[in-house]
Amino acid sequence: MNILEANNVSKAYAAHRALEDVSIAIPKQSIFGLLGPNGAGKTTLIRIINQIIMSDGGEISINGEKLHPRHIEVIGYLPEERGLYKKMKVGEQLMYLAQLKGLSSGESRKRIKHWLEKLGLTEWAGKKVEDLSKGMAQKIQFIATVLHEPDLLILDEPFSGFDPVNANLIKDEIFELREKGATVIFSTHRMESVEQLCDDIALINKSKKILDGPKKEIQKSFKSNKYQVNYKGQLSHLSSGFSVLESGVLEDDLSQAVIQTQAGQNPNELLSELISKTEVHGFIEIIPSINDIFIQVVQEGQS
Amino acid sequence: MKQIILVLKREYLTRVKKKSFLLATILTPLLFPAIIFGIAYIATRDSGNEDKEVVVLDESGLFGDAFQGADYNFQFTTGSLDDAKAKFQEDGAYGLIHIPEIDLEDATKTFYDDFSFFSRTNPGLQVMEDFEGSIRRALEKIKLDRSGIDPAVINSLKVRVDLDSFNLSETGEAKESNSGLSSVIGYVFGFLIYMFIFIYGSQIMQSVLDEKTSRIVEVIVSSVRPFQLMMGKVLGVGAVGFTQLLIWIVLMFTLSTVGLSILGGGEGMEMMANQMPQEVELTQAQEMAANVQNMLSTVPVVQILISFLFYFLGAYFLYGALYAAVGSAVDSLQDAQQFMFPIMIPIIAGIVALGFVLQDPHSGLAVTLSMIPFTSPIIMMARLPFGVPTWQLLLSMLFLVAGFIGTIWVAGRIYRVGILMYGAKVNYKTIAKWFTMKV
Repeated sequence: MNILEANNVSKAYAAHRALEDVSIAIPKQSIFGLLGPNGAGKTTLIRIINQIIMSDGGEISINGEKLHPRHIEVIGYLPEERGLYKKMKVGEQLMYLAQLKGLSSGESRKRIKHWLEKLGLTEWAGKKVEDLSKGMAQKIQFIATVLHEPDLLILDEPFSGFDPVNANLIKDEIFELREKGATVIFSTHRMESVEQLCDDIALINKSKKILDGPKKEIQKSFKSNKYQVNYKGQLSHLSSGFSVLESGVLEDDLSQAVIQTQAGQNPNELLSELISKTEVHGFIEIIPSINDIFIQVVQEGQS
Repeated sequence: MKQIILVLKREYLTRVKKKSFLLATILTPLLFPAIIFGIAYIATRDSGNEDKEVVVLDESGLFGDAFQGADYNFQFTTGSLDDAKAKFQEDGAYGLIHIPEIDLEDATKTFYDDFSFFSRTNPGLQVMEDFEGSIRRALEKIKLDRSGIDPAVINSLKVRVDLDSFNLSETGEAKESNSGLSSVIGYVFGFLIYMFIFIYGSQIMQSVLDEKTSRIVEVIVSSVRPFQLMMGKVLGVGAVGFTQLLIWIVLMFTLSTVGLSILGGGEGMEMMANQMPQEVELTQAQEMAANVQNMLSTVPVVQILISFLFYFLGAYFLYGALYAAVGSAVDSLQDAQQFMFPIMIPIIAGIVALGFVLQDPHSGLAVTLSMIPFTSPIIMMARLPFGVPTWQLLLSMLFLVAGFIGTIWVAGRIYRVGILMYGAKVNYKTIAKWFTMKV
């Protein structure tokens, strides 16, 4: 079951096309990475899902229903450009944002109290936002995004500006929300920052989707049978089929090499050959990073 | 609708709870009268010139008693002008008037300009007029004496006229009108609307700008349609203005009532103390109060008040929406200046035209400006005390409603794009593009 499906969504501004026929499907309770460089069209797609702007063509459905204003209440959105009312008190501000999402004041109060306690901000409820540190303000922004317990969390560049401690804290909260049933969309141009978090990804470049699917499968399909080996001894006269791509000395007599096998060859074959010739200290299959895959796909598309 | 109310509530409460709101609301009705009285007090004190010594060197010998009874301390001197000047330098007198020999033989001569006034600083207009008047009256008197005309004849030729004006209604009922009072009321109400547009319009703009610069706007519009956000804001700030206005009306009413009763009470006490002479004064005061009441009855008070609330809201919506659009288009107050210009032009045109309209409230210019929605709130309020045909009032109100629906629509289209544009170079062309853009 997909919580969100977008079919052939397009959007053009006067000067350029921001999205061209983009289709994605986001499985329920997954963490979905919407990846691509700046200006690729990620924020446009997110704004369309949030009904801040309208698409020119295509369809979006949430839980099988066509996108409707009431869906605002099932989405929690943390935009890339985010802030708070500086002169407003933390508690009042969260109250206002929760009520805008359709929560009653009683329910809002209860949840605000819970979340402030959870993130250790209880004594700041009566303070104005301008008195908060940047990290605390970011936590408040996160609370505002999740207060109405949205089924779909959309986080645009969530970790930009977060210090590592807060980033980890927020990551843990996101996992916990996912456990409770939420689906999360990460949108970022820094692919390495969310790579390990995502179950599924879609790559967007120049307003087009160029690749999507479960992350593991994508990586598998881009595997090029390369292995990284740490060893002692002489790595020479490997049997045909194994080619050494690069090699170098790590320390003293320990060396490292990247070896490619031919398709269909079992890593055990390489390993047994290595064992017979050298003293193996490390052996790992090189899984291509999403960033590498992205660059590869973009380059293939250009040539 | 629920969303608009939430936005409205926030805009309203954050403003009303501010200390500055409380101060402005309570102090303004006290401050304005205080400033006016303060200026008047200083002005009356200043006019005391009895201490100022003015030396008069009268070589003609004609002005012996011309300067009697004037406000200044006049000292006559003799000798040459140079001597008088030297003495003036030493003495520290305020001024020196020199009157040379005057040839009065030619009875047809009516222009005399040989007089001089010396002083250490530039004398004010009033001072010059005082002295010129004294000399002119003295010369006129001398010439009258020489002409042999009986002064009584001259006096009998001077007459005074008071034209009572009446409004003749269609039923033929004549009602006394008072154009002086109408002008004052018209000016005050026209000006009040002008002031409110400025104060509350820029508050809306500031509020839009704050949301944009604090980057909260995208969070908000993921829950609220941009149009709802804009309307909530316009209505919220408008409600603040309305609250302030009501408090001012109540405060001024209470203050004037309390003030009058204190004055009245004081008079009563004095009257008890010594009966007769005060009684006369009291009847005079009563007569004056009756006069004021009479004058007020010549003005359609209820119509003016209801219309004022209507035009106040109409003008506020019309301009408030435009201020919101400007706030959405720019990133800082400085950038806003260039877009403020076209908004200010009709407002300022209205205020400039106010003077002409008050001189002739039924002229073509006045009627036209009171129909155009951009100027009608100021101009129609100025015209109302003079009596405006009902059809004109209703038509003007209708146009105003159409006008603010129009500006809100235009502003909404600019606003929805503008609030999400950060750091964009904005000119009129980009705004036009936003207006036509499909979002």
